[in-house]
Amino acid sequence: MIAEETLVQELKQEASRSKAFEVLVKTYKERLYWHIRRIVLNHDDTDDVLQNTFIKVYRSIDKFKGDSKLYSWMYRIATNESLTFLKQKSKKMGVSDQELKDRMVENLQADVYFDGDEIQLKLQKALATLPDKQKLVFTMKYFQEMKYKDISEALDTSVGALKTSYHLAVKKIEAYLKEN
Amino acid sequence: MKKDKKNSFNTPEGYFDNFNDRLMDRIKKEEAEETTSLIPKSDGFAVPDAYFDEVTPTVLSKTVAKETKVIQFKSNRNFYYGVAAVAAIFILIFSFTWNSNPEPITFDDLANAEIESYLENTDFEMTSYEIAEVVSLEEMELTDMLGDDFEDDIIMEYLDENVEDIKELNLDDTDYE
Repeated sequence: MIAEETLVQELKQEASRSKAFEVLVKTYKERLYWHIRRIVLNHDDTDDVLQNTFIKVYRSIDKFKGDSKLYSWMYRIATNESLTFLKQKSKKMGVSDQELKDRMVENLQADVYFDGDEIQLKLQKALATLPDKQKLVFTMKYFQEMKYKDISEALDTSVGALKTSYHLAVKKIEAYLKEN
Repeated sequence: MKKDKKNSFNTPEGYFDNFNDRLMDRIKKEEAEETTSLIPKSDGFAVPDAYFDEVTPTVLSKTVAKETKVIQFKSNRNFYYGVAAVAAIFILIFSFTWNSNPEPITFDDLANAEIESYLENTDFEMTSYEIAEVVSLEEMELTDMLGDDFEDDIIMEYLDENVEDIKELNLDDTDYE
């Protein structure tokens, strides 16, 4: 795997940009896909958001200052794109954010790309009750097994606050699963 | 049995030899219990076959390829001008002829000439006196009868020109003269 610093350098130079961008897409597509998928739930929507995320990364690579890792920066873009996508969707459908989340979970039952059993469906229902930040922290830590330091850079939140959010999320999910 | 030389407590045989293993096992078990107590380890999402192979060229076609592709616009300039001219004509025609939301015709849309012609040509079977009886003159003003709203100075000018001695009219308007 190519070193991140080298990749950033190559992305910023016009001559090497195309090749470097291809490497970037190949390296991060799966990780970003799963991050987005866990926010927007549906495969087709995830595909749209993933492509938009890469297009945005390509267009704004010159603005990347290197204060954080390239990987965390892309996660931040993917998160923002996903949340904006959901906001626009709820506006278009004329429903509240919460109503959209509930409908998304209901639609999972008919989704051919969701193999989840009853407990996994319940987990999604539980996740839909959480505030955005808690849900993000939980999925990034629990399913994507990211380090708190990386999550901290991606979500621009302190490690301490993330740990608290994760702890609260786990408690709420467990309580939901016990009750239902 | 192993005896401690300094005190009388004993430990089972081999206790310290496998302590580390037992401790690590327990930590692992507790960690596993903590995280998977109720929450499933996988969330059940799947992707279409070969999706990750296909997404790379799709993204590249919308970014890298899009930027490097040069479109020969100049050679087709006349063609584009032609298309633009035809499109402009169509838009112009449609904007004049096509009304997406026709409003119902109201009384205000009738021309005055049409109303006058209707009143002149239609026999109401009423004489002028009969009309005068039903129309309240008290609420009428001179301007209701006239097509144009005359300004005071135009009236004064008319009187000045057509009346022999304007002072005989005893008008209050002293500004005039």
